[in-house]
Amino acid sequence: MTVVPAQQSAGSRGSTGLYDVLELVLDRGLVIDAFVRVSLVGIEILKIDVRVVVASVDTYLRFAEACNRLDLEAGNRKDPGLPDLVGEITESGARGKSKGALAGAAQTISDAFGGGHDDEEKESRPRARRSSTGSRRKEEQE
Amino acid sequence: MSTYVYGITRNSPDLERAARPDGVGDPPRPVRVLSQGRLAALVSDAPEDLRPKRRDLLAHQHVLTEAAGRTGTVLPLRFGGVSFDDEAVAAVLAEREEHYLERLDAVDGKAEYNVKAEHDEEAVLHRVLADDPDLRAMGAAQQAAGGGSQEEKLRLGELIVAAVRRREELDRDQVHRALADAATASAPGPESSGWVANLSYLVDRERAEEFLSAAAEFQRVNPQLRLQVNGPLPPYSFVE
Repeated sequence: MTVVPAQQSAGSRGSTGLYDVLELVLDRGLVIDAFVRVSLVGIEILKIDVRVVVASVDTYLRFAEACNRLDLEAGNRKDPGLPDLVGEITESGARGKSKGALAGAAQTISDAFGGGHDDEEKESRPRARRSSTGSRRKEEQE
Repeated sequence: MSTYVYGITRNSPDLERAARPDGVGDPPRPVRVLSQGRLAALVSDAPEDLRPKRRDLLAHQHVLTEAAGRTGTVLPLRFGGVSFDDEAVAAVLAEREEHYLERLDAVDGKAEYNVKAEHDEEAVLHRVLADDPDLRAMGAAQQAAGGGSQEEKLRLGELIVAAVRRREELDRDQVHRALADAATASAPGPESSGWVANLSYLVDRERAEEFLSAAAEFQRVNPQLRLQVNGPLPPYSFVE
């Protein structure tokens, strides 16, 4: 589990929690009718619909192949809370970070904000979207 | 000069005395306290060309977290709220004083924790195969056959994907069940999908430890999920 304190994400160097701060700062919080809102053209909150990504032939094949690579004996251990399985999974979790549809969101975010130092001056472009999702959404402009 | 508004808090002499972090804009506009009756707004001049740049978003956030640290409770505005001038802000505060005071009471001593969960792909595969002997047997048979035909792979993949989806829904419910007790209120996070769960909780400061422990314990027994907890944050999701 990752815990990101707000102070850290608000600091100039802490890009860890930036995405999470971003979506809340842009999407939540009080809106006062009498005020105008700065145009948010160019800002797109991450919209990856995993269901769309998942339900494709490519994904079926990918999962089947992932299953083929899996150590099924480990899968036989019914209780996922077993400490040895936890250890194994934590280890594989780090590897899994850069692959697969399920890990895609985190990957995309780190692509967009990865540097944390080189884009201070640039327009915030939260992230490149996956072309296959079609669930594009623009922030309202007012 | 139009006025950028960060948040609304209770009027207090402490506000004026306290140091305030830089506001939005380049160069950063100084943050001022605009008092009106029992309320005060944290404001700055609004830069002409304000855009949602990374630094401005962080400045907005930082002003709010600093203020919350000092005075306890702030109603955060969504990024980008600009008023015609200071008088117009004061007019809004005067007009809606009772409402904002009520909201301040509601979030008093509390902070938002945003919780996101994603599946660890390999771990969730283990999990769904462990839970379904037929699926596991099918996978084992394909492994034994050196991978199986394209059709067999597709069939297996489709079944696995369906099982992973069911697991997503189950896990979403379980995340919520594990955390809701330690929180005062909950709200769905912005619909940035790609997460198994994206939920915000309003948590009393006194119970923050309890909340974080519940999250850690849930993570411990659910290795198929990666939990990310962000907080304490200004109560963005609990101000309306």
